[in-house]
Amino acid sequence: MPSTPDGIFFMGYPFMKIRKLIRILHRDIGYIAFGLTIIYSISGIAVNHVNDWNPNYIITKDTLSITSGIDSLMTSEDLTEKLTSLHEVKDSVKSYFRASPTSIDIFLENKTISANFKKNISILETVESRTFFRESNFLHLNNPKKLWTWIADIFAFSLIVLAATGLFMIKGKKGITGRGKWLTLVGILIPMIFLLLYF
Amino acid sequence: MKKIYLFLISLTLISITFAEEVKKYGEEITLTEKTEISSIIADAENFVGKKVLVEGTVIGVCAKRGCWIELSGDKEFEKMRVKVNDGEIVFPMEAKGKKALVEGEVFSVVIEGEGCGGDCSEEEEKTEEHKCEHEKSPRKVYMIKGLGAVIK
Repeated sequence: MPSTPDGIFFMGYPFMKIRKLIRILHRDIGYIAFGLTIIYSISGIAVNHVNDWNPNYIITKDTLSITSGIDSLMTSEDLTEKLTSLHEVKDSVKSYFRASPTSIDIFLENKTISANFKKNISILETVESRTFFRESNFLHLNNPKKLWTWIADIFAFSLIVLAATGLFMIKGKKGITGRGKWLTLVGILIPMIFLLLYF
Repeated sequence: MKKIYLFLISLTLISITFAEEVKKYGEEITLTEKTEISSIIADAENFVGKKVLVEGTVIGVCAKRGCWIELSGDKEFEKMRVKVNDGEIVFPMEAKGKKALVEGEVFSVVIEGEGCGGDCSEEEEKTEEHKCEHEKSPRKVYMIKGLGAVIK
């Protein structure tokens, strides 16, 4: 068996050669995983704060007072015409719904007009897709299912490989036998502390 | 050969352009007979645990998680909520106003009252003995646990 500067053997192979293989694996898997890592991490931050914002849509509301000449006694068709013109909306109407005799919801493409005749207000809600975030969340939360489940599993496995190979990238004082072991320990302790606190 | 390719690409593009946009969610629909939402509302307790196929216009969508939709009933002023397991089915906001066919199981849940659900006038809200006050007590509501849906 040839001697190595490391003088360490792993499963009969010199560790120098294994370290080279580890570096190659880490580098190439890292390249492939880059795009997905960015998507998953940005989406991760986005959905982490779902209680504070809507990670998929930008919803804006424009409230107007219902002018005279529009009242709940009108037919739904007439109300649709009057309220769309009140909000100056030109989109074609998909459908409408009356939840009570004193209210109506009119559905247009990505817009909803909700009129409440008791409160005398009409709200135009516009829904816009939050570009990049919505697509990222769609993939991150595995909404496509089917083949994407496999891709996501392979990606998750590749992260394990990246984490494991990352430990043995370099040797010496800055490697896993030096400061690396302490930093790795910190990384393991962080979730454990939070588990002890909250679980 | 080029002409054949061009023809096939054109045909695909035309099909995509004119195809009716029908989106399927969750499991395949197995029931063939539809149940009217008004029948469920009228005799809800008897429907609990039963699998139904309902149709209606999507009048509300869970904006943050897409985890529920509300369907209009076949009778005036009636609606029913379809709740799905978070992440299993995610309804898009674009579904609002579209027709939906949903298969699921009727279930009941006791919820805290929401008062008038925002349907009271400012004068009514200010009054001491608010006429909708009774609605603030816990009440039983009936929903459908959505298993599969087709929205078009």
